[in-house]
Amino acid sequence: MSADQTILYEKQGHIAYVTLNRPQVLNIYNVCMRDELYEALSAVKADTDIHVVILKGAGEKAFCAGADLTEFLSAPAPTAARHVRWQRDVWGLFLSLPQPVIAALHGYVFGSGIEMAMCCDIRIAADDCVFGLPEVALGIIPAAGATQTVPRAIGPGPALDLLLTGRRIGAQEALEMKLVNRVVPRSDLLAAVEALAEKTTGFDQRAVRHIKQAVSRGLDLPLNLPLRG
Amino acid sequence: MNAKKAIIITRENPRLAVITLPAAAPTTEFAAELAGVCQEINFDTAIRAAVITGNGPAFCRDVASSHQTPAAFSLAGPVASINCPVIAAINGNAAGMGLELALACDIRIAAKEARFSFPSIWHGLIPSDGATQRLPRLVGRAKAMEMMLSGDAITAADALRIGLVSRVVPAEDVLEAALQMGREMAGKAALALKYCKEAVYKGLDMTLDQGLQLEGDLYFLLHTTEDRTEGISAFKEKRKPKFKGK
Repeated sequence: MSADQTILYEKQGHIAYVTLNRPQVLNIYNVCMRDELYEALSAVKADTDIHVVILKGAGEKAFCAGADLTEFLSAPAPTAARHVRWQRDVWGLFLSLPQPVIAALHGYVFGSGIEMAMCCDIRIAADDCVFGLPEVALGIIPAAGATQTVPRAIGPGPALDLLLTGRRIGAQEALEMKLVNRVVPRSDLLAAVEALAEKTTGFDQRAVRHIKQAVSRGLDLPLNLPLRG
Repeated sequence: MNAKKAIIITRENPRLAVITLPAAAPTTEFAAELAGVCQEINFDTAIRAAVITGNGPAFCRDVASSHQTPAAFSLAGPVASINCPVIAAINGNAAGMGLELALACDIRIAAKEARFSFPSIWHGLIPSDGATQRLPRLVGRAKAMEMMLSGDAITAADALRIGLVSRVVPAEDVLEAALQMGREMAGKAALALKYCKEAVYKGLDMTLDQGLQLEGDLYFLLHTTEDRTEGISAFKEKRKPKFKGK
């Protein structure tokens, strides 16, 4: 574990902690973070001893304030970038984790920050959270799944209200929209998430994993198929 | 602007089309005219967003209940085919086909006094302009069933609570709220708005994995546009972007 790592990965008992660790720049997501996140998630996926994962952001101000735009115009040609995107599919890997993942959100949760949170199964927000999807104002669209995960979670109407306007909302409105499961005082955030995680670790892990799989895969199937399967 | 036309289309600015629906109940002629307007919007690459509102106490009335033959036309279909974002300024009641038209828009802003209903069940019929599909996708099965099986009207506050509308404002502010949102969108990158809408709607008819692939492909396509270079450069230079729509 070193301070210059962009992702911190720790295990405590059956709980894995994945921490976005660029607090000096509001944990904005860059290529290095992508590679380290890919490694951490690969380790989580392969580790049957991990029952539940907590994803959080380091520092006081932000869970993650979006993507690191300084890397944007220096990126390779779009065709090359597309190739790299699917060669190392970090979001596909994230969504395929067999363990439940709980997001502990605080401060700024913009762009990639929301998208990472939506790859999690349960989202707990501190009352100081501010959410927004600013991509459209930059002439692009989200690319870590938000056009797919947000409408599936909150419906196309509210999703387009966020995606097409880029407007910012607070924790309470996010709760009303069902973007997050619960809002807690900032000082209670980690304790609330850990209490939830502890509860899950106590159950038969086959049941826990099967429930996650039934819900996530079932949503892609017609209703009568999963019931018969 | 042709005076004989029932639908009024105006430009709030060159990039924002405003469609004003007639106060009378929808007819075949009205539907054909609406289809023409929607097509016109798709052909006009200068337009980046559209607002649809009503020109009477209601937003849009249901097809007349005296209609003895099935309504063989669609209002929601042409509206849903618009590529750019469409905001419904629901100035008054939206019932039956009128509400189905609103469901085909992307974002709905409603007047506090507006009522929403699907009265077709009272006539031994079902909604036939897309609501049996669009309503459950928007508000979930339980609320959709309740509305369509009871035929009872719900208030704007209820509509907000179940996610049928995004915002509720006093009646006199509805159009301005929608225009304000439309103006903001009209200042954004046209292709990003269209691709975002395409990714959401097409993606909801796919598995998540397929939807993610679609999003990725559209995203990389946008990286070939001038607007994307302008958007990111403007952000870095801390200035307002000037998008050209290409």
